[in-house]
Amino acid sequence: MAPTPDPNSVGGGAKQDEAPVKVPSKDPKKKDEKKEEDLSEEDLELKQNLELYVERVQDPNPELQRDALERMRLIGTEGDIGSWGHEYVRNLAGEIAQEYTKRQSEEAPIDDLMDLVQQIVAFHMKHNAETEAVDLLMDVEDLDLLLEHVDKTNFKRTCNYLTSAAKYLPGPDDMLVLDISYMIYMKFEEYPNALQIALFLDNTQYVKQVFTSCADLLRKKQFCYMIARHGITFDLDDEMVADDDDREALQDIVNNTKLSEGFLTLARDIEVMEAKTPEDIYKAHLLDGRASSGASVDSARQNLAATFVNAFVNAGFGQDKLMTVPSDSTTGSSGNWLFKNKEHGKTSAAASLGMIQLWDVDAGLAQLDKYFHSNDNPIIAGALLGVGIVNCGIKNDCDPALALLGDYIDKEDSSVRIGAIMGLGIAYAGSQNDQIRSKLSPILNDAKAPLDVIAFASLSLGMIYVGSCNEEVAQSIIFALMDRSEAELGDALTRFLPLGLGLLYLGKQESVEATAEVSKTFNEKIRKYCDMTLLSCAYAGTGNVLKVQDLLAQCGEHLEKGDIHQGPAVLGLAMVAMSEELGIDMEIRSLERMLQYGEQNIRRAVPLALGLLCISNPKVTVVDTLSRLSHDTDSEVAMAAIISLGLIGAGTNNARIAGMLRNLSSYYYKDASLLFCVRIAQGLVHMGKGLMTLTPFHSERFLLSPTALAGIVTLLHACLDMKPIILGKYHYVLYFLVLAMQPRMMLTVDKDLKPLSVPVRVGQAVDVVGQAGRPKTITGFQTHSTPVLLAAGERAELATDKYIPLSPILEGFIILKENPDYREE
Amino acid sequence: MLTVSVKWQKKVFKSIEIDTSQPPYVFKAQLYELSGVPPERQKIMVKGGLLKDDADWSTMRLKNGQKLMMMGSADEVVKAPEKGPVFMEDLPEEEQDANLGYSAGLVNLGHTCYMNSTMQCLKSVPELNSELSNYQSARTKDVDQTPDMLTVATSELFSELDKSVKAVAPMPFWMELKKKYPQFAQLHNGNYMQQDAEECWTQMLDTLSQSLKAPSPSEDPDAVKALFGLNLRSRLHCQESSEESSETESVYSLKCHISHEVNHLHEGLKHGLRGELEKTSPALGRTAVYIKESLIDSLPRYLTVQFVRFFWKRESNEKAKILRKVDYPLELDIFDLCSEDLRKKLEAPRQSSSKGDDVKMTDAEGSSSGSGESSTGDQQGGALSHMTGIYDLVSLVTHKGRSADSGHYVAWVKQESEVLIS
Repeated sequence: MAPTPDPNSVGGGAKQDEAPVKVPSKDPKKKDEKKEEDLSEEDLELKQNLELYVERVQDPNPELQRDALERMRLIGTEGDIGSWGHEYVRNLAGEIAQEYTKRQSEEAPIDDLMDLVQQIVAFHMKHNAETEAVDLLMDVEDLDLLLEHVDKTNFKRTCNYLTSAAKYLPGPDDMLVLDISYMIYMKFEEYPNALQIALFLDNTQYVKQVFTSCADLLRKKQFCYMIARHGITFDLDDEMVADDDDREALQDIVNNTKLSEGFLTLARDIEVMEAKTPEDIYKAHLLDGRASSGASVDSARQNLAATFVNAFVNAGFGQDKLMTVPSDSTTGSSGNWLFKNKEHGKTSAAASLGMIQLWDVDAGLAQLDKYFHSNDNPIIAGALLGVGIVNCGIKNDCDPALALLGDYIDKEDSSVRIGAIMGLGIAYAGSQNDQIRSKLSPILNDAKAPLDVIAFASLSLGMIYVGSCNEEVAQSIIFALMDRSEAELGDALTRFLPLGLGLLYLGKQESVEATAEVSKTFNEKIRKYCDMTLLSCAYAGTGNVLKVQDLLAQCGEHLEKGDIHQGPAVLGLAMVAMSEELGIDMEIRSLERMLQYGEQNIRRAVPLALGLLCISNPKVTVVDTLSRLSHDTDSEVAMAAIISLGLIGAGTNNARIAGMLRNLSSYYYKDASLLFCVRIAQGLVHMGKGLMTLTPFHSERFLLSPTALAGIVTLLHACLDMKPIILGKYHYVLYFLVLAMQPRMMLTVDKDLKPLSVPVRVGQAVDVVGQAGRPKTITGFQTHSTPVLLAAGERAELATDKYIPLSPILEGFIILKENPDYREE
Repeated sequence: MLTVSVKWQKKVFKSIEIDTSQPPYVFKAQLYELSGVPPERQKIMVKGGLLKDDADWSTMRLKNGQKLMMMGSADEVVKAPEKGPVFMEDLPEEEQDANLGYSAGLVNLGHTCYMNSTMQCLKSVPELNSELSNYQSARTKDVDQTPDMLTVATSELFSELDKSVKAVAPMPFWMELKKKYPQFAQLHNGNYMQQDAEECWTQMLDTLSQSLKAPSPSEDPDAVKALFGLNLRSRLHCQESSEESSETESVYSLKCHISHEVNHLHEGLKHGLRGELEKTSPALGRTAVYIKESLIDSLPRYLTVQFVRFFWKRESNEKAKILRKVDYPLELDIFDLCSEDLRKKLEAPRQSSSKGDDVKMTDAEGSSSGSGESSTGDQQGGALSHMTGIYDLVSLVTHKGRSADSGHYVAWVKQESEVLIS
């Protein structure tokens, strides 16, 4: 028999196989002995069994020990489980999980187990062990039980754990987990978090429910800001907001009409309103040696690069030094820069005006108006595209973009048509606008339409219906693909057809399967490309390990020349894995392998994949890898690496990348194509003068904006074959990035939505999931006053108790409410 | 009758009445009054489309108080400039390189790098260029026509360099040079021998100064001398007899002697201006050691400095190269090497323009030092428009290689953009 009958030692027992095991074994037995006097036959048998178990507990074989212990619990007392101590309960939970799977396979009843589970969960939830409770419930597939046990003190930690666990769960468990946390958040009126999950699940019903459950108008405004950041189209109805005026005000927020104003507030606060010229970005004076000394003749290629640099750098500021110079001044009229671009270059130049006026529809349209009356087709095309860009992410009742661009879709000139089509795609991305579909779909199946028009129509439809799984659009694109001749399938632009199709299923996982089946019937030239694109789009941002393996297998093959499907497969790897840190790190490692062993077409895609994984997040190791690749002997690899350097540094003003690019500009001074890429990358690094980000993730990397991802992925697919597209006459695909451009700010506003400056701490975010107590959420912080910039991996928290933020995620626009309990010291 | 508000740019025109019995053109005329945008340039956006001039109001289902949006401006329509810009991509291939901003190179004809680099240096003197282009061949009475022909060849070579964007093969010039100075045509194992750039430089200046003498005495009699020549006033002092004498001489370059103490060009120059020589002393009646101290009496527009790196090793009877690293500045101030008289002249402009816009050049015959990096050699220095005694580095010739008999010469020329290129 066990020597120490002290039950107090149980709780702290660490060596569970020895002392603690023996101790409890003594305890229940004693209880049983007390009852011994009036034992029935049954009880007697029980007692004997128990004694047997107790003996077994002392068995040297730990397997037997544990088995005995558990059975004892099952058969034995039904009293307070906690009296046996925390370690024991934890141990027991593990056993139950095993037992559960065993019984599931035997189809044996589990009721008795569930009783125990109930007790264990209740115990865990009371004792700060939410994670264990959740784990157990997930093992026994009964998460609903959680709802009964969460309370005000532990629901946040519970939900936090649930939502982070969801990333590692296979479907459909992940959805279930998120569902539960949504319900918990709703139960405790933590609406912003509930809304986040609703947005993640892309469940409009849930979003609605958040609005109908909450009565506070100010909080609803905050919800609207969150929806606006996510970039989805959402119409409020009178059920959600009863009052007409209120609804209009809220809808304005959802429509992002105030985004430009907020961004300019930030810019003024940081004092970067002064327009920058491309030369300010190139900083050629810092280069010694052979920087070309003021070329006497304009180079169309370099002027085009300057156009893009100017557009990206001054994006959203409403002023620059090339395009918006007052047109009446005698020397530098605004027309001048436009005409320093050649033919199709003028399209990008005119459209750059839209970029400069980004989000400010009124001013943008006023500026673009003059180009509509030009008699030069590329300029008209640029004006149309510019209208699309300026409306990106902004919705307006009057639908100016549709009204203006609609008529140009069927014009004669294909450059004008493309301008209008692409403009619509950008302006209405994610809107699922039927009116536009009815205009664009016929083009796809028009036998007379040129390939480039069809390609862009497919792309725009993919954007407008991104993640919608819309059958009709899918059909149109499929037919368009089937109608293509052998020669057309070899064209670089054809890749936009499968991409448009893939975007329809962005992040929608299994929903793609029917279409994927159909794609198997395509011409073999495009079949695999299509297959890879569909797979990668459908599982983008899911972190699905099985799909990563599928794609890796594709990349492992050594192909005959001319097969191009490994490019999208490599991009697909990044798309699938990009959702969480661990996946990203693993992916970076496997991409490194591919660089060493892969074929040339894989090596060309690797830098782009790295660019996507770390977009607007210049990780040192990745910067080094890309810097190395930027000197690769294969110029395609070098170009992709240079563009990717721009992507990972996008909007950061990262000095290291800027220095690298500057050196590259002198290294490649003789190669116009590479120099063009370097310039573009320089523009990206200084995008929005460092106030913007390209990352499609927001809300602490939890939510993935589908339109933003669509924009980036489109550019990357275009970069898989630089020469005919970006270095050819379709350079304006670079403007697809506008879909992902967002201010990386935290702007606090008061109840009237006027900017309000408060002190905040900004620091590196710490992962606090499943940690005990109230750990600090940020580290190495600095105190600033709002508005502030947030870099990748940073988090903000209020440094004052005077106000209460209406959303726990301090990003973008945050409404502050005065704290009624605050006392001035 | 409907009332709507119209948003135009940042303005909102509130409560505009629409007479639905009239065509929309009337409405546009109303807006013209408010905004100044002519009706034909107005684009009015109603839900889902543009308002057409002949549209029917009733089909549009406008509501009272509805917001419309108008786009349009009275701005001038952009017109393409009459003459479009010329793009580099449109130019023929040869011209594209030219626009990168570099001048043409010279082809090495086989151990002619000394010549090429020397000529590139000379080429960097704009005054010399213009002198040469004005040069009229005067092959008349002179018995010896070689200097004249060499000058013509130089002139032709320079104009060819100006026109061309590709490397020029200086064949005719090479022939003339060999004719005039047969020492450059020496063969060694069937190849032309490697030669000294400094020698080439001196000979070239010599020739040019002969031929470029101005025909009329009213002008500067010797252009080359004005450009490159400097006068030294030397004082000879015999320590034994305390005799003193002074003389002036005209030279084309300053020498920078390199000894153990010399780390900087300036020190070397000082060193070079001070020397000892043995000569017969009239007072003592025998040879005695004289100390010769020279000071610069007049400055040329372009100052040439030679790093004396090659010397004769007496003990081993061979030529050797001094590999010591000597720094040279991009801007050289030789004020303290000047004579009293000259200093006085220089002082005033020095004060007024602390740096002035003097041009100058230095031309160095160099060798890479031990580390193989920094260059050395014959330097030629730049012009001095306002006499201040400060010279900018214009070009230099460097010698690479360890020994005195072999190696490679490279010319470095400063461009307007303050960049040195080879």
